[in-house]
Amino acid sequence: MQTNIILSIAKKEIMDNIRNKWIILVSVMFALLTLVVSYFGSLASRGWQDLGFTISGMANLVTFLVPIIALMLAYATIIGEIERGSMNSLLSLSATRFEIIIGKFLGLAGVLCFTIFIGFGAAGLMIAANVSNVNYADYGIFIGATMLLGLVFLSVALFFSTIFNKRSTAMGGAIFLWFLFNIILPIVFIGLLATTIDITKFAQGNTIVVPDWYQALNLFNPTSVYSSLLTTSIGPVSSMSASSMIPAPSWYSSGLLIGVLLAWIIVFFALAVWRFQRKDI
Amino acid sequence: MTTQLVKCPTCKTTITVSGEPGEKIFLTCPQCNQKGAFTIPGEKSAKTMVTNSATIEVNGLTKSYNHFTAVNNVSFTVKKGEIFGFLGPNGAGKTTTIKSMLDLIHANTGTIKINGIDVRTHGKEAKKNVGYMPEKVAFYDNLTALQNLRFYAEIKHAPKEECIHLIEEFGLGDTGKKRVGKFSKGMVQRLGMARAILGNPSILILDEPSGGLDPRGVVLIRDKILEMKKKGTTIFVSSHILSEIQEICNRVGIINKGVLVAQDTVEGLSKKLNLKPQITVTIDSMSAKIENAVKKLLGVDSVKTQGNTLEIVCDGAMKAKVILAISTAGGNIQNLQTKEPSLEEVFMRYTEA
Ligand SMILES: Nc1ncnc2c1ncn2[C@@H]1O[C@H](COP(=O)(O)OP(=O)(O)OP(=O)(O)O)[C@@H](O)[C@H]1O
Ligand SMILES: [Mg+2]
Repeated sequence: MQTNIILSIAKKEIMDNIRNKWIILVSVMFALLTLVVSYFGSLASRGWQDLGFTISGMANLVTFLVPIIALMLAYATIIGEIERGSMNSLLSLSATRFEIIIGKFLGLAGVLCFTIFIGFGAAGLMIAANVSNVNYADYGIFIGATMLLGLVFLSVALFFSTIFNKRSTAMGGAIFLWFLFNIILPIVFIGLLATTIDITKFAQGNTIVVPDWYQALNLFNPTSVYSSLLTTSIGPVSSMSASSMIPAPSWYSSGLLIGVLLAWIIVFFALAVWRFQRKDI
Repeated sequence: MTTQLVKCPTCKTTITVSGEPGEKIFLTCPQCNQKGAFTIPGEKSAKTMVTNSATIEVNGLTKSYNHFTAVNNVSFTVKKGEIFGFLGPNGAGKTTTIKSMLDLIHANTGTIKINGIDVRTHGKEAKKNVGYMPEKVAFYDNLTALQNLRFYAEIKHAPKEECIHLIEEFGLGDTGKKRVGKFSKGMVQRLGMARAILGNPSILILDEPSGGLDPRGVVLIRDKILEMKKKGTTIFVSSHILSEIQEICNRVGIINKGVLVAQDTVEGLSKKLNLKPQITVTIDSMSAKIENAVKKLLGVDSVKTQGNTLEIVCDGAMKAKVILAISTAGGNIQNLQTKEPSLEEVFMRYTEA
C-alpha cells in the first residue's frame, strides 16, 4: 500500500467536487437552513434561538438532507469511473484496487465533512453572535454526529457503487436507500411495535414502556441512531420523527451509538472493498 | 544476445552473426551468396529463456462471462524487446485477453507473468513498468490534457515535466485550457498513447492504438511504437491494420473464437500455410517456349498467362531463377512485380470459419 497514491486519488476526488461547485452550494444551503430554523423555527417567539434549540430543529432536517448529499457524492464513484472507462488506466498504473477505493473514500469523506463543518459552522457562529448563552460543546457534538451520519451513508453508497454494473442502477439503489432509512424502516418498525403494544394509550399522551427489541431494532437504522445519539449526548432534541417519539432507553449510551455508527461505516467499507476486488472492469 | 564473427567457407568474407547461445542461425554470404548455418556457441540456458527472453508469459488463460467462454486456454510468450502483434476478428477475445493480462478482469484459470512476476498475486510489482492503452481510451472529461497527464504522472511516479513534452510530441500542444471532454476522438486517442508511454515503461500493451486516427495520426503512433522499440521496450499490440502489423511486428499471435490458433513470425506462418510469393512478369511478346521454360522449373507451383503477362507462383528462393529462365528463353522483360505472401492471407486462412 502506498500512501502517496491514496493521497493523489483522494486529492483528485476533492478537486473534482470543488470544481463541480455544487458542494459550495450545499454548504451555503446548510448555513441558510440552519439560520432559517434558528430565526423562524420557534412559533412562540420571533428572533434568534440559542444553539440548543437550533440543534433540535435541525436534527430532523439533517436526517433527510445529509444522507442525500452523501449518497449523491458516492453512489457512482466506482461504477461511474468503470463505465466512463478511466478505471482501466488507473488500475494498469499499478494502483491497487484497495488504494483506489480507500483514496476515493477519504477524498469524498473530506468533501462531506468539510461541507458539514463549513455550512453548520458558519451558521453556528452567526447564531452565537446573536444569542447570549452559547454552548459550543453541544453544537460541536451536533456537527460531529452529523459527520458520522454522513459517513455511514457515504460508506453504504460506496458499496452500492461497487455492486451495480451501471451508473443508472446505482442511482436507483441510492434513491432506494434514502427511502429505506428515512421512510420504510421507521414505518416498518413502528408497525411492528404497534402490533405488540396498545397504541391508543400512546395517542392519549400516556408514556408507554417500549420493549427492548424495538430499541434494538432501531440500531439498524442509522438515522434513528443519529437522533438517539443527539438525545443521549445533548438532551432530547427531536420531537417530530416517528422513531424518536419514543424516548431512548437507559441502556443506550453515546458510546454504544457512536460504536454502531462506526460499525456501519467499517462494515460497508469492507464490503465495498471486497466487491471491488472481485469486480471485472 | 551474443555476437560472433564467422568466415564464409568459400570466399572468406567476415560476417557478423548474433543470437542467443545455442541458437542456430541461417546465413547467406553477402559476397558470394553461399548459404550456410551457424550455431551460436554456449549452453542454451533455461534461465535466460525465462528471465531474459520472455517478458510476458501467458499460460492456459481462460475467461468466461457467465457461460460464454471468451478466451479459451490461451498461452503465448512475448520476448524481451520485440513487438508482438495480436490479431483476431471482432469478438475473438483480444481485449478480454489484454484485460486479463493486467488483471483488470479476473481470469478463471491460467497464470500471467510480467517480467517473471505473477500479475494476479503480485499485481503492484508486476505492473510497475507497464504502459497500457485501453481499447476505449477515456480521461477525466472536465480536466485538460495536461491536468489529466499530471494526475497519472503522480500515480506512476513519473516526472511531471514529462507531461508537457508528451503533449507537444503528440500534437496536442495547442489545446491549452480545452477540457478533454471537448477533444475529438483522434485527439483523445493520441493523449491515450501519451499516457501509455508516460514514465518510460519497459513494457507497452496497446489495444488497437490507431483506432479512430487519421493517416497522420496512424503514422505518428507507428513511429512512436518503433521509437519505443529502439529504446528496448517490449511491445504487445492488438490491431486490425494488418499491413501495419506486418511492417512493425517481429511476431504475431492470431486468436479466433477465443482460441490462439497461431503464434510465429509472419514468414513462419506463411511457410506453415505454404503461402508463396507471386511474380507478375510482362514481356514484349509471349511464346509457348517461355511459358514452358518457367513451368519446367522445380519449385514453380503455377504459371498463368494472359496476353503478354505471366503470373507465377513459386518458392521464395526461386524468384531469381524464374526471371533468368524467362530471359534465357528469349523473353524481353518490360515490367516485373513481386507480391510476398501477406499477413492478410495468413489472417484469412487462420480465421476462416
Ligand atoms: N463484459 C462482458 N460480458 C459478457 N460478454 C463479454 C463481455 N466482454 C466481452 N464479452 C464477449 O467476449 C467476446 C470477446 O470479446 P473481446 O472484447 O475480447 O473481443 P475483441 O477480440 O477485443 O474484439 P474487437 O476486435 O471487436 O475489439 C465477445 O463475444 C464479447 O461479446
Ligand atoms: Mg477489442
